Amino acid sequence: MWAYIVRRLALASLAVAGVLVIVFFLSHIIPGDPVAAILGPQAPNDVIEDLRRRYGLDRPVPEQFYRFVARLVRGDLGDSLATHRPVIRDLREFLPATIELATAAILIGVLAGLSVGVISAVARGRPLDHAVRFLSLIGLSMPVFWLGLILLFIFYFKLNLVPGPGQLDIFLSRPPTVTGLITVDALLARDFATLWNALGHLLLPAVVLGSHALVGIARITRASMLEVLGQDYVKVARAKGLSERTVVLKHALRNGLLPIITVIGIYYGGLLEGAVLTETVFAWPGLGRYATSAILSQDFAAIMGVTILIALVFSLANLLVDLAYGFLNPKIRYE
Amino acid sequence: MRRGLAKALLLLVILALLPAAVGGAPSRTPSNVLVIGTSIQDIVSLDPAQAFEFRSTWVVEHIYDTLVEFSRDFSRALPGLATSWTASADLKTYTFRLRPGVRFHSGNSVDAQAVEFSLRRVMRLKLSPAFIITDFVKSPDDIVAVGTDQVRVTFNQAMPEILMASVLDNPVSSVVDPALVRRNAAAGDPEANKWVTENDAGSGPYVLRRWTRNAVVELVAFDSYWRGRPSMGRIFMQDLIEPAAQLLALQRGDIDVAMSLLPGQYRQLQNTPGFVVKQTPTFTLRYLAMNVGYEPFSSRQVRNAVKYAIDYDAIKRIYEDTIDVGQTIVPARMFAHLADRPYQRNLERARALMREAGREAGFRATLAVSTEVPLPDIAAKIKEDLAAINIQVDVQVLRAADVLGQYRGRTHHMVIARWGADYPDPDNLAKAFADFDSRVLAWRNQWDHPVKQIVKQAVQEADRVKREALYKEIQKVVLEEGPYAVFAYPLRLIAMRSNVKGVDPSPLAETFDLTSASKE
Repeated sequence: MWAYIVRRLALASLAVAGVLVIVFFLSHIIPGDPVAAILGPQAPNDVIEDLRRRYGLDRPVPEQFYRFVARLVRGDLGDSLATHRPVIRDLREFLPATIELATAAILIGVLAGLSVGVISAVARGRPLDHAVRFLSLIGLSMPVFWLGLILLFIFYFKLNLVPGPGQLDIFLSRPPTVTGLITVDALLARDFATLWNALGHLLLPAVVLGSHALVGIARITRASMLEVLGQDYVKVARAKGLSERTVVLKHALRNGLLPIITVIGIYYGGLLEGAVLTETVFAWPGLGRYATSAILSQDFAAIMGVTILIALVFSLANLLVDLAYGFLNPKIRYE
Repeated sequence: MRRGLAKALLLLVILALLPAAVGGAPSRTPSNVLVIGTSIQDIVSLDPAQAFEFRSTWVVEHIYDTLVEFSRDFSRALPGLATSWTASADLKTYTFRLRPGVRFHSGNSVDAQAVEFSLRRVMRLKLSPAFIITDFVKSPDDIVAVGTDQVRVTFNQAMPEILMASVLDNPVSSVVDPALVRRNAAAGDPEANKWVTENDAGSGPYVLRRWTRNAVVELVAFDSYWRGRPSMGRIFMQDLIEPAAQLLALQRGDIDVAMSLLPGQYRQLQNTPGFVVKQTPTFTLRYLAMNVGYEPFSSRQVRNAVKYAIDYDAIKRIYEDTIDVGQTIVPARMFAHLADRPYQRNLERARALMREAGREAGFRATLAVSTEVPLPDIAAKIKEDLAAINIQVDVQVLRAADVLGQYRGRTHHMVIARWGADYPDPDNLAKAFADFDSRVLAWRNQWDHPVKQIVKQAVQEADRVKREALYKEIQKVVLEEGPYAVFAYPLRLIAMRSNVKGVDPSPLAETFDLTSASKE
């Protein structure tokens, strides 16, 4: 299996390199002047020229690419035009908030999605199944932005059940940084007031961000379970007199998990890059907003930094999914 | 199976009810704390030598002091760190006497060496706002400490007092603590720009306690401030980008002031007891620019036909009345503003001008506009207006970066753009819109007009009355011949809870003086 992992990692590196080349040249082909965009309409020409020179943007594109790769090899992603800081520092600052949000979202999506999918499959054709499928359809077609505002209105404004937007109450200070994840750092610091507050702030955006994953996982789970529940070995299990719970959860669900695991991996990667709307509504200081502003202002170094990160996350998620196959289905061999 | 189902259902119920367990406390901010909801994503540096965005400069203004300050109406300079000053007969050299006993937040003294160091540092760093000083001061050696309590600044031209204050009241001219800067200097960063970007080296009314990017800025009142401790003990600028979320937070009492609501939301609050909406003119313009390098727009008649074809009142409606209609390049409330508004939609006049120019059959032109709301709607309206005089407009809705790329590259036919005064003097606007040699807007639109000589003359004029007359003349020429159809002076709207007092936004910065804010 180790040989398989090494080979997959090598292939993933190639894929990431390919993505980098494509994104680098595409982002440089798009017309527009990143320096002018960052400095605004009123910056004098000599200031713009000076900054362009300082960031090497006055050089030919192939030379810029060569410099980018040379820096990358040294682990340097360059400086962001917008924040005037090393991109790696920006990523270190903004990524943890998004990881925290996406992880909470996928947990909600998986737990609730699996439960709903299994219930729906077991209750196939009954009113409960119809209700779940109807609600899924609504959930899938509801824009994240709108859902976020509606939930804020109900749970924050009307019912006062959750705190407002932001990652933490403004009167609280962040716990000492160890991982960058506020909940984890608060736990490590045994600062339970901050932990509780952070969890409260995390809940609503995580539900919103996880809602599409929830619905998607529920639908796949239902379809997969329906297929498996009709298999002979399930009938045999029932004939053996096993309890329905054992039949569904041990025999059927485990075998039905393969396609579900695949979508979970894809959803997680998608949540990391697609959190921008949720981050906007909930004033979440994460990577989504950083990436959007980088794209809008053609902040090349930041775009490349985010690209590398997202490509790596997708590659790793795919690898983990493939490895999970083997765990779930011993017949699968890694060669 | 039933037990399994029950467990799954229980899980869902727990998920649904979990919010109740972690609910927020009922809110209303404390009486000595002001919480402002706004987007702080534009804050990238709090170093006065680098800060150039609305929120960055807003914070810098409250952490740092400057030598002089402007009166509320921008008509004269008031003492700041300097208690008095004298000017040479040619108005080129100013000598400032410093206020004794002022200290930085660090406890170090604010003296003439600190002023010299700070202004020279801006010139050495040469970052975005440096031009505000370097346009008027030739060399760092022209800023000299005389003893410990006097500073002499020699400008490269005659500087009427308002213009001097425009430079030295600007946040870029803030005085930083040289000892802190030197202590935090590093190889490759001798001016400690990285450190000053995120830390406080000032003597202003507030001390920077924390800045978490894209989350919050926290300021704490400086107890030993030379003007006395400000009334609000703590100020928070909370990052809230989404207007609806900002409105909810204001209504809930989690924030006291909302800075970026939508026009309809402001209207809603205007009629709600417990809330106040302030509306202030700003020193910004919105205008349609026509590139004279594009052959049809080389004709003054065609440019004026465009100005007569535009329906200005309709544009005001698109803005939901959050603008004043104005047509001259010096906005209302600024010194020397010319209130002329000759252009109203008049298709007969516009068609006659097109005929005069030999363009009766019309022509095609592109109009680049950014995605910022409501600019695409305004572009669509202008397209419709110009179609009536046979100008077929291709509207290009682009990222702001792309619009600017076209504009700076002078490849546009028309763009919808904005200009905000960098300093409250008509020179800033006149230079941009009328002086081709300044390589700003007149240059971008390839409009090289003799009026540029008046711009150069006006900035040197010491007599206030003559100066005003010159700027009015410049505005008239630009209005009648220039390649700009100015259609809006945007208003700044701020909503707050009614117990918040003393919030009076400045037309220059579109922000307000936090030291005058208080709560009942």
